[in-house]
Amino acid sequence: MRLIGFKYLRKKRILTLALILTMASILFSTTAFSLLGFYKGFNAYLGEEEDIVAIYNRASRTPFTGIVPMYLTEPISIINGVSASSPEVIVPCTMKNESTFLRGIIPEEFSKLNHLSILEGDMLELSDINSMVVGRPLAEKLDLKLGEKVLVLGVLADRYMELQVKGIYDSQSAMDDEGLIPLYVGQWLRGISYEYVTLIRVKIDHSEVSQSMLMDEIAKEASQPSPSDEGKDEKQWIMPTIRASFSIEEIGVEEPQRFMKRYMDRYGVTREALLILSLMVFSFASASVITASKTLLYQHKGEIEVLRSVGASNRTIKTDLLAKVLPWSLAFSMAGTGIGILALMAIERSGRLQVLSHGISFQFDPLILALQLIFSSSIVALSLLRSFRSKI
Amino acid sequence: MTTLTLKMLFRKGGTASAILAVALLVAILASMNSIVNHINWQTEALGGYVNIGGTFLTLSRSSTSMTDSKIDAELTSLLNNTTDVKYTIPQRTLTATLTTDSSNHTILIRGVEDVSSFLNLRGAYVNGTSAKNETEANIGEILARLATINLEDEVNLTVDNTTLKVKVVGIVKTLTQNDAELIVPMEAIHHLTGNDGNISIIEFTFKEDAKEEAILNLIKLLPTDVKVVKVQQPKEFMQDMNSQTLTFLNLWSIAIYAVVAAASYVIATRLIAESNYELAMIRSLGAKKRLLFTLVLTYIAAVTLLGSILGVALGTAATQMASTMLGWIQTSVQVTPFLEPSQALPTLILTLISSTLGCLYPAFMCARKSYTEQSL
Repeated sequence: MRLIGFKYLRKKRILTLALILTMASILFSTTAFSLLGFYKGFNAYLGEEEDIVAIYNRASRTPFTGIVPMYLTEPISIINGVSASSPEVIVPCTMKNESTFLRGIIPEEFSKLNHLSILEGDMLELSDINSMVVGRPLAEKLDLKLGEKVLVLGVLADRYMELQVKGIYDSQSAMDDEGLIPLYVGQWLRGISYEYVTLIRVKIDHSEVSQSMLMDEIAKEASQPSPSDEGKDEKQWIMPTIRASFSIEEIGVEEPQRFMKRYMDRYGVTREALLILSLMVFSFASASVITASKTLLYQHKGEIEVLRSVGASNRTIKTDLLAKVLPWSLAFSMAGTGIGILALMAIERSGRLQVLSHGISFQFDPLILALQLIFSSSIVALSLLRSFRSKI
Repeated sequence: MTTLTLKMLFRKGGTASAILAVALLVAILASMNSIVNHINWQTEALGGYVNIGGTFLTLSRSSTSMTDSKIDAELTSLLNNTTDVKYTIPQRTLTATLTTDSSNHTILIRGVEDVSSFLNLRGAYVNGTSAKNETEANIGEILARLATINLEDEVNLTVDNTTLKVKVVGIVKTLTQNDAELIVPMEAIHHLTGNDGNISIIEFTFKEDAKEEAILNLIKLLPTDVKVVKVQQPKEFMQDMNSQTLTFLNLWSIAIYAVVAAASYVIATRLIAESNYELAMIRSLGAKKRLLFTLVLTYIAAVTLLGSILGVALGTAATQMASTMLGWIQTSVQVTPFLEPSQALPTLILTLISSTLGCLYPAFMCARKSYTEQSL
């Protein structure tokens, strides 16, 4: 006996299940997309390119607080296959009563690694002693105008300074929530001497040089420093170059993404953990989906009894129920995911959602949608079948 | 009759699963809150590793920068007369054009009463001597390198149309913004701008034994158009970071409360469907619409309350267990989630509110039906 033609399920009653499925899907999608967005954004903070490696301090507790000798930029930059080496100082600070991050850079080297589109004003130069350029979202958040002078207060050091906005840029990356300053200004605010930087990012050609070769060069410098060639380029002309001794055990060389990932892993934050957490959230919310499925069956108890009395077997009714309810549940799960995405996009545009003063950018992941659809349809199917067996 | 009916409703098979459904939703909130508490605690602990300096700035309330700020120079004596203040450095900063034999630069000039004491307080390394009169100046190391200025060089400073020739008597390294400035005695500034009795900022510190009330007392003494800013703000920075995480959590919690409301709608719908006979019976015995409405509402409120208490306990305990197990597997990960009692109460109240809102429609529809309409 086929039941496809029998319209015994009332749409209004299915809506109860649809409502809870939609809400659970919104919850799952907002959790998963925002957490994974944060994770991806944090990992990509220093760049995602495979040809960039970071030289960093392995002992530091956060990616922002380690220090490495700045002079390592010199011997590394002359290695065959190295096209740029950018020393950078990441500085947490306060501007206009808002916590933010500034990055001390050598603009010439930095621009070989990151492309910035200047929207207003001009690009920063190393000789711009009291200037900064800021990302568009940061400029909007702090209401910074071109030429405006701002008092910047230190967090890691008891320092203050006045900086003038020289330009506003767009990089389509996490850097848009930061400001760029000359390297030595970053060192003042960070409270370190001219010998040290937070990290050195190096652009390499993998066919000519590897991470281990860079590490070998650093090890060589640790045991026998090469002679200084002071006065050759602009950075050495402006900044005093003093060689700091260091221990090779403290230095690490890694792709920036792995470097950031290591810090996340250290605190137990992995992509898998976040995905499992999101699925746990959905599973917990699914108790309500099970209740809704049971309610749906209970509300159609009479109709199912009639179908049985006219000769429909339990298997036929179950198959028909699944065939009729599952497309609805898939549709409403997708609708919930869609609403979740729209909500996240709206929140992202408002700029209110920030972690570590960096905006969380939502990134669509088909895996999340697939997991969502599989889980929601499985829960609906299982709860319908189980309720059918126990109640009807 | 109300108590009996409620008892009857609670004995329905769906009550346990309804409590569990609410409990699991609240458990999500409780566990997230406890994890965020741990993250915030860690962040604040990281802030605690920073050595905090004691520098404060006094500047005009309306200004956002040093050069825009104008305050009465007499305030320095007011601060100096305060017993808790260790030292004060009144300063006047302005933008000027520095002209050398070969180039022009727009720079910051900082005028101080006593250049020597100022450099001492900065812990500066000085190549040469300290400027003593308006024709002498100290130049920061970075600026000296940038403008190719050496010791004993003479440079011209121009502000508007007034020019002053000064001799560089010392090159200083302070590892502060002073390394990119020209530091001159206050007389040089007066020569360039005239003495209007104003300065830009007063930098000061409190004595080591000064209490927190000293800052508040000092602020009360100062005029209303002046503000005091603490220079190093690690605590405020960390608190701001934490508030960003909390904003995220609060926004996300809205989705949970929406699910609680939807779950409550489902629970109420199920209760009404399962208790159709009983509800029709008490209606036929003379129960008013309001009683039916109150019964459904009370049932949902009780289920939500029990579910919330269970959820808070479950969420906190489960997160603590999971983090302990994670610590066993991955020894480098030490997570200690915790929930403040002050966080549990708002969770209970908000769950109760969203759940009540969710069950209003089914409760209203149930109350509106006459017993003749109820299917028995």
